[in-house]
Amino acid sequence: MKLTRKAALVTAAIPALVLITPVGSASAHGYVSSPASRAAQCAAGVLDCGPTGPRYEPQSAEGPKGQTTCSGGTRQDFEVLNDDNKGWKVTNVGSTMTVTWTFTARHATRDYEYFIGNTRVGFVAGNNQQPNNPTSHSINLGGFTGRQKLRAVWNIGDTVNAFYSCIDINIGGGPTNPPTTTTTTPPPTTTTTTTTNQPPVGGTWAPNTAYATGATVTYDGVSYRCRQAHTSLVGWEPPNVAALWERI
Amino acid sequence: MRRSVIAIAAAVLALAGCGGEAIVPEGQGAHGHGASTAAPPVPAASARFNDADVTFVQMMVDHLQLGISLSQVALAKATRQEAKNLAGAINTTQREELATLKSWLKLWGKSESGGADLHAAHGGQPLLDDKVIDGTKEKNGAEFDLTFLNLMAGHQGAAVEMALAAKKDGQNPETAAYAERVVSTRQGQVSQILKIISEP
Repeated sequence: MKLTRKAALVTAAIPALVLITPVGSASAHGYVSSPASRAAQCAAGVLDCGPTGPRYEPQSAEGPKGQTTCSGGTRQDFEVLNDDNKGWKVTNVGSTMTVTWTFTARHATRDYEYFIGNTRVGFVAGNNQQPNNPTSHSINLGGFTGRQKLRAVWNIGDTVNAFYSCIDINIGGGPTNPPTTTTTTPPPTTTTTTTTNQPPVGGTWAPNTAYATGATVTYDGVSYRCRQAHTSLVGWEPPNVAALWERI
Repeated sequence: MRRSVIAIAAAVLALAGCGGEAIVPEGQGAHGHGASTAAPPVPAASARFNDADVTFVQMMVDHLQLGISLSQVALAKATRQEAKNLAGAINTTQREELATLKSWLKLWGKSESGGADLHAAHGGQPLLDDKVIDGTKEKNGAEFDLTFLNLMAGHQGAAVEMALAAKKDGQNPETAAYAERVVSTRQGQVSQILKIISEP
């Protein structure tokens, strides 16, 4: 009887604890945005990486320090990042490359480490300072050549965790292969840079399309005029954003 | 804590005088604007909400304002047209969202401020503050563009995280719908930015 009462008291205390728990987990997150890491490719929609995970949170490949994975090993929906045969875009680099991180929150940094296989080819001290934005490092690839996987690790200063970001590279890729030739652009965005001053006449609204000011579209049978040049996206359908589309 | 939420919710209901129906804030009715603009109705928040809804909306108010500030710097300084267009679209869409969210907080009897402190309590220093935004003004050309794009990708990535948490823990249907739109539009913006960065 006593035990039951105690259990009841403990149970009663749980909802209160849940209520004061912060809404999100700690979000001192980050990933390598340039060259496009695997997670960045998921977020850019270059590859289909599943309905959750790195598509929405490229910054959340998190796990305890010292992992040898690309995912951090914490979340199942980030396991896709460990698939070496997924067809990741490979970036041609020289013997030294520049890596740029994108952070979603500032957080004390212990250091950054860069690995090819088990060899640490780069180390940058963080001195428990908050990172600058953007943070770029020049990494000497230690004489490695050819197709490699560079594993970038951001070790957090005041938690046990680190963030992991893998970049597929081809070292000494040769002058005949400019670095951007492997870029994959989804068909709808191919006109992004050229249509700015040519409003399309009519047509049905579509996401990932560059619309110039004055362009007209139809959506659900209703006509709209673009108020401000932008590249459309899901969630910016004309009836949802009066800031971008005026009904005509 | 739970009791106080219920008490506040009850008070809002009592004030509104209608049991749980959507309440249209003053001046924001579906037909409140001139017919010629045909602006969509500003979604009114209903009185059913919990702490997670309030926290999310307060944090988003702060987040939207910082995003607007950074966009304005980019409108003046960005050299790449794609970056400038994105800044312009973020600037205007987030102003629209800001007005909506402020009307919800007013309806709920909650403060507009405090979002920055909430960020600190929910996972460390937010990426942007006035000092960081001011710092971007010192940069020019391609360096400015990269700084802006990088900061905005991180800033909007953080919004996705907040919105995913709000979808899980919130109770207010309008907040949930807004959180859903934040997830899709910010993911779309991050996707655009990463493409711009990778196609110099």
